[in-house]
Formats: sequence, structure tokens, C-alpha cells
Amino acid sequence: MLHRVIFSLAALVLLAACNAPSPRLSPAQLAALKPADSREAQLYAQSCKACHTRSESGAPLVHDHAAWDPRWDKGLSTLLGHAVLGFQAMPAGGQCASCTRKDYEALIRFMADREEAK
Amino acid sequence: MTISRRAAIGAAGAGAAVIGAAAVSVDVANREKPEPPAPPAADARGDLVWRNWSGIRHSYPKERAAPASEDELAHILKTSPAPIRAVGAGHSFMALVPTDGTLLSLDSIAGVTHVDGDVATVWAGTRLGDLGPSLATRGRAMANLPDINKQSLGGALGTATHGTGKHLPAIHADVKALRLATVDGNILECDATKNADIFDAARVSLGSLGIVTQVKLETVPNRRLHRRVWLEPFETSLARAEERWNRHRNFEFYAVPFTGLAANIAHDETDEPARPRGPETDSEFLEALKTLRNLFGFSNTIRKTAAQIALWSSERNPEEAVDEGWKLLSTERPVRFNEMEFHLPAETQLAALQEVVAAIEAHRPDVFFPIEVRRIAPDNAWLSPFQGRPRGSIAVHCYYRDEYEFMFSLVQPILRRHGGRPHWGKLNSLTGADFAALYPRWNDFLALRKTLDPQGRLLNDYLKGIFGEA
Repeated sequence: MLHRVIFSLAALVLLAACNAPSPRLSPAQLAALKPADSREAQLYAQSCKACHTRSESGAPLVHDHAAWDPRWDKGLSTLLGHAVLGFQAMPAGGQCASCTRKDYEALIRFMADREEAK
Repeated sequence: MTISRRAAIGAAGAGAAVIGAAAVSVDVANREKPEPPAPPAADARGDLVWRNWSGIRHSYPKERAAPASEDELAHILKTSPAPIRAVGAGHSFMALVPTDGTLLSLDSIAGVTHVDGDVATVWAGTRLGDLGPSLATRGRAMANLPDINKQSLGGALGTATHGTGKHLPAIHADVKALRLATVDGNILECDATKNADIFDAARVSLGSLGIVTQVKLETVPNRRLHRRVWLEPFETSLARAEERWNRHRNFEFYAVPFTGLAANIAHDETDEPARPRGPETDSEFLEALKTLRNLFGFSNTIRKTAAQIALWSSERNPEEAVDEGWKLLSTERPVRFNEMEFHLPAETQLAALQEVVAAIEAHRPDVFFPIEVRRIAPDNAWLSPFQGRPRGSIAVHCYYRDEYEFMFSLVQPILRRHGGRPHWGKLNSLTGADFAALYPRWNDFLALRKTLDPQGRLLNDYLKGIFGEA
């Protein structure tokens, strides 16, 4: 009996997983994205890309507006605080030891697809 | 560690089933802890905080330096505010990095410069995860890898980071030569014949002698490995561990407390065609174990029964993959934790493990992370925990939101009583006197350190404490 309950619930869990919205970009497209600035591109590759291009990491995927727009609404300073201190699964600072405040802001803007025109 | 999605979902399903029952008759305590309190994002000077990966260490470095060359690094060592502490991925749980002086990243001094026969010349800022594919393009591979590959090569060497395998030593044992930037701005070339004492001391030196900038690393042909992961009763894993360490290229197991089970992982060389590993599922497995903890933490018996139904009854077949070693030996491990790991004489390892599991099951129902059990071949670096004899490691993990301090009073005494030496980057409360008793070349190391850095420009408070410089 318990097994039947478990498998029924497991099926529901699976069904829910199947209904979850899929990333809008393919893994190859996600992997190809990078900031235009060479310094930010290097920092992004070293500290952000591994999680923010991999849906199973739980991190908001780069350029995924469905994931980023509600976060962006909280304000850049809030997002900066989360990035520097760590937030839920994200380690503090993305473990980017050389990132400055300006770097963090630029990287957040890039991932949220809110880059400022230069 | 990789346990299938099916097992994790089964466990989650079992948990959900009991939620219904609990609503009727069982007082289910919610053991989820809130996010730990965070330090301010910046200090009064406006300097941004640095925190380690798990979040328990932090500081406000006055300067952050990321030199792009060895010369630039040497200049920084002479001129930047002390203490100067190098950081890689921040995966150390001990206070090796915190500094209010200069935080030094070698991220821009990275990459493989060339490969000559078996030996690769590699900059120390290279992340282990980048080193694998870079060597693979040249047909080479590191002989072994730790179970996380985020670390910088310099950080991994400095803390004696290791993988598993009876005949495979820790990474620093594969270093055949190194370049050390010292606080006087010089670069010392060191190997077994040139500056030999510095070579043996600097391979594991916590960034306290200078900064290792480049190493010549012995590599192996880039072979495919056959990976097998399976669950079985803990008692079976204990009984067969020695045989498996003898038989497999790499073998480790994870005792899963409160379940009576262990997850085993073996890797062996093969010529079979590649069968890549699927997506990472560790997080789901850990979530399932946390769910079991949250729901059944009030009763070890019920928790174990539920775990066996959810995990063991549905998970009899091993998961298998075939791929190049650098793609299999490390995993993502995205769920943060704090960790204590000691390296014990091989002959006491399994007895100590049984004591640790029993102590945790008797006193700490909040623990749900598996306990990692590995074997490492010996080497001769002065401060290598594996110096002189093979060692068996036992690593206890706690979810980053959960209390970890109990490990000092409950786990550490067991591991010390069995002759353990702590991992340099992982939780321990040993003093300089303790280390002096564990390492025959401790005093030689202290004397050498004083010669190379008489002003202690590379020492933060923790290192001053254990080196007797406070």
C-alpha cells in the first residue's frame, strides 16, 4: 500500500517537473552568451557561468527574463547585496575574489539582460 | 556522490505520504533552520565583504589584487598591505583566507603553458575544473581529482586537497617542480634537487611561505573511466571496503547516517565507448535526506525504516557511466555545507567511522549529509597529512544552515583518538602544539617560514596562532 502511495506521489512530482517552464535558450545558446567587456567576460566565465547557464543549479539563467525580471524589480542594490553576501544556494560573491562593486553590478546587469548602453 | 533522481523522488514521495499522516496524528517538527545571519556587505570604510563558500568566514580586505603576471605578483607581495592572503574558490572552512589587508586572487595567472612528455607546466591560478579539459586537448589528465573541482590549483596544493584511490596520492605529490614568489619580490625555482627543502615545505604550505605561481605537474594519459555508483547496507560497505580499495582505481563510499545504507562509488580504466553521466542529482538526493530528517528526526527507527523503503527498496541497480576521468571524478556539489575531515592511519579508519556514525546517530538527529570515506597514498611533503604512510579519510558534513560546532566536541575527539591529522582547509580546533606532535618536520617548517617571511606579511590571525607568532 505504502509503495503504491509513494509511486503515485512520485508520478505527481514527475508530472510537476514536466510542467515546469523550460529555459528559453538552448544549453548551447546559454553557453555562448558573455559580456561584451573583456574583463567582465573573464569574471563571468570564472565565477557566474557554471551555475547561471545550468538549469539544474537552481540559479536564474542568464538572459532568462521570466527568472530575472521579478528579481530586477527588487532593485540593483538588493541584488548586489545578495551577490556579495550570498543568497540561498549562491555562495558569497560568486566566489569572485577580485570583483569590485562595479564588476558585480555589471555582471548582474548582463545576466538580467539589463545592460546599460555605452 | 550521485544517486538517481528516481531514488530521490521516491524519498520525497515517501515524505509527502507521511505529511498526510502527520497532519492527523504525528507531531512533525520542522527542523529547517533559517538562513544564517550575514555580516554587513561593506565595512565602515566601504570595503566589500569577502566570505568563504559556506559563509562561516568573512573579512573586509582593504585591497583586492588580481595580478596578471608573476612580476606584478612579486611587486604586490613587496608593497601591498599585510596580511596578504591568497584565495581561490574560497572552499576552505578554516580561517585561512580572512584578511583586512590584501586579498590576492591568481585568477589571471592561469592556464597550461605547455606539456613536455608526462609533465604539464601549469599556472597556479588555474581552476581544477578548467585544467581537465585543457589537459585533455593534449591527451593528458591529472592522475586524480577531488570530488569538487572549483578550487584553484594553488589552493588545492596549499591545503593538501586530495581524491581517493589506494595507489593515488594527493595532488601535491604530482608536483615535480614549483616557482615560489616570496615577500622580498623574488621568484624561487624549487624541485627535488634545487631548493629541495623549500620544495618539500612549499608543496603544502597554506600560502605562508610565499605564493606558488607555477608548477610542473606529472600527468597521465587521458583514459576513459567506468563509473559505478550503488547503494547497499552500510555493513556490507564496511566489510568490503578494503577489498574494493585494493581492486578499484578509485573507490570511496558515503555512510548515510540514520538510514543503515551507504553509497559506493568506483572508477576503473576502460576502453569502452563513452556513456556520459546524466545531469547532477546530488542535490535531489540531499533534499530527500533532508526531508527524511525533517519528518522523522524525532525517531531514529522510523527515520531508518522510511529511508530504507524510499531509497533502498527502489535503488538496487548501480548507475553507470563511461567517460574521460576529468568528467567523472568531480561533481558539482551545489548544496553548501560545512565540513570536518581527518586523515587517519588506514588500519584505524573503519573503526573510527563506525564510532562517528554511532555518535551522530546517538546525539545529532539534525545531521543528514552522508559521511565521506576515502583512501589516499602517501607522500613526503613536510605538512602533508599523508606524509609517511597511507591514510584513510573521514569527512563529516553539515548543511550550511545547520549547527556545525558540535563536530569539535563530538567528532574531532574520535578522529584524533584514532590518530587522525586534519585536512588543512577543513574544520578543526588543533593548536600549534597539536600540529607539532603530528608532523615530524613542523619545527623545520616554522624555521623556514621565518626565513622566507620574517615580518609575517603572509600571516593572518589564524596562521599567527598555529605558528606561534601571535
